[in-house]
Amino acid sequence: MPELTLAEKLEILADGAKYDVSCASSGSSRRNKGGIGNAAQCGICHSWTADGRCVSLLKILLTNACIYDCAYCVNRRSNDTRRVILTPAEVAELTIGFYRRNAIEGLFLSTGVVKDPDHTMELLIEATRILREEHRFNGYIHVKVVPGADLLLVDRLGRLADRVSVNMELPSRESLKLLAPDKSREAIVAPMKRVGELIVQTKEERKVSRKIPPFAPAGQSTQLIVGASGESDLQIVSLAAGLYGRLAMKRVYYSAFIPVNTDERLPTVIGTPPLVREHRLYQADWLMRYYGFAAGELLDEERPNLDLALDPKAGWALRNLHLFPLEVNRAPLELLLRVPGIGVRSAQRIVGARRGGHLSLDDLARLGVVMKRARYFITARGRFGADLAPDAAGLRLRLTERATAKIRWSQPSLFDAATAIDIQSSITGEL
Amino acid sequence: MILRYDGTFAGFLSAVALARERGIKPEAITDREPEQQGLFAAIEEVATDRDRAEELYRLISRTLPSGALQTLRYAFHSCEPGREILLFRYLELGLATGPRFGAMLAHEAVIPVWKLARAVGREAHRYKGLVRFQQLEGGVWYAAMEPDHRILPLIAPHFAARFADQRWIIHDPRRGEAVVFDPARRKWAETSLEVTGPLPLSAGEELFRDLWQRYFDRLAIAERHNPKLQRQNLPLKHRGHLPEFER
Repeated sequence: MPELTLAEKLEILADGAKYDVSCASSGSSRRNKGGIGNAAQCGICHSWTADGRCVSLLKILLTNACIYDCAYCVNRRSNDTRRVILTPAEVAELTIGFYRRNAIEGLFLSTGVVKDPDHTMELLIEATRILREEHRFNGYIHVKVVPGADLLLVDRLGRLADRVSVNMELPSRESLKLLAPDKSREAIVAPMKRVGELIVQTKEERKVSRKIPPFAPAGQSTQLIVGASGESDLQIVSLAAGLYGRLAMKRVYYSAFIPVNTDERLPTVIGTPPLVREHRLYQADWLMRYYGFAAGELLDEERPNLDLALDPKAGWALRNLHLFPLEVNRAPLELLLRVPGIGVRSAQRIVGARRGGHLSLDDLARLGVVMKRARYFITARGRFGADLAPDAAGLRLRLTERATAKIRWSQPSLFDAATAIDIQSSITGEL
Repeated sequence: MILRYDGTFAGFLSAVALARERGIKPEAITDREPEQQGLFAAIEEVATDRDRAEELYRLISRTLPSGALQTLRYAFHSCEPGREILLFRYLELGLATGPRFGAMLAHEAVIPVWKLARAVGREAHRYKGLVRFQQLEGGVWYAAMEPDHRILPLIAPHFAARFADQRWIIHDPRRGEAVVFDPARRKWAETSLEVTGPLPLSAGEELFRDLWQRYFDRLAIAERHNPKLQRQNLPLKHRGHLPEFER
């Protein structure tokens, strides 16, 4: 076969990396120390692709060759695709070239597994090292940790990168065994635990001496595929809550399953991927991280799945109508955050603005509250702004988003017969 | 009474200082030509007085909470017609109120200024990502952009820190303004600039343009195709100088 050009290699390696949904470039404030680049704490988007997703980092694989054969993965061993590899120096050069043109915030480097996990990790570390030491690059770098690699390599990588991540991909041990038979749950969780420990430990050490290099200052993240296996939203959200709580996880990403392979172990998806479900999971995730909700408030054994027609915050409010309406001039911030139509920023602005005088319903709209939703749940100066009392029937209907009804998607039937598998305990038991 | 100033922040502060000294409430403060204004209003030209402007600035810094100063600065860089009189009312209220001003977020003199500042802040943040450099023959990195507001001086510090080893120019051709960075002195400066005709590009530029376009095309996932969301996140008006949308 003729040698491929750099552009052709880049195309193949971008193709293999694009299913990784993480694009964040936030959370690190690395400064430019006499070289090129820095990291912006808030993250910066540089473009948006035709699927509406933002482009922030150069997201590529070092290689799409892989010794594993995971059912859902486009790069699996048994797929008949052209395999290419970049040298660590080529990865670094591409990154710098795009960065100097301000097309990217930095690099997101992932890879297939060549030879063995340790060898592959060393290639990733080398690419990162060249960027940091030879190009004196201080921009954002996110690197994937290869499951099964020596934990000492994880330590080295985290000293160079801003963020590291291990993709869990499948929410339970059973799904993993079925769909990714070469990877064990232990091989995935061990580096996550190590990263979590090092993040916490390094933060403590840096309080004593700033000379100690930070370890993954933008934290660690992971990704879960939604809809390739039969777990409920309750299982997924509980798993995410565990990851945030116990492994110092910064972000969990949810990726609607897109069949890139035909495989009898995978569910058949008709029409679009489960994008609405993915969206609801992100909303639930935000409620846990920024709004003070616990997983158990959003879902329980009786309702193990999120309502696709209603956002989870409105759903919670409808189940807790006895708490409403809230008087916005008195309610504490924690309760304001629970009102549908009031976001984190508008809640903070309410708290700031009411120090300057009692707020009216009109003031609230000016402060950025979405009154269309919030008016059923609040009073201002004792006034209620809706024609419908919050306990009236039909409120649910008013809060339901209409557009969602059109999207069709099918639930996998994979575990329908075999729900005897105790997925729940395997998720909550070990993390 | 209409006060006319030279369009600079110092000039605006001079006009505000003048109005405050005389105890007048101007109908408008503007940097536009007189014929665009009402026929019957009296127009007074205000000369920019640096000392007077600085004195007022110190008073504002002392009296207003720091967030308000930032709001003032960002809102001034908006291109909304009539912004100056909104800023004047905002300042009058702030200087009369003092530290308690920070809590007056819902006041009718505060909300419009806050909204202007928010729009400018959002655009400045957006353009930290949308500015695209091309290397010219001779090594200078050049970027053109056409933002709604005058954000050049607001984004310049970001690029000065990030590309501290590059000679770069960010150009707003619609307004004929530019920011130029000198890596030797690590300083940026505003200047007027007009570019006539195509600029000569350096040798590597074509390659990286091609690499970027091909990379970008591969990134979208077909099953998630959603041009409406793409337009929502990146309106067409911001795409003019992005190589991935130029074919």
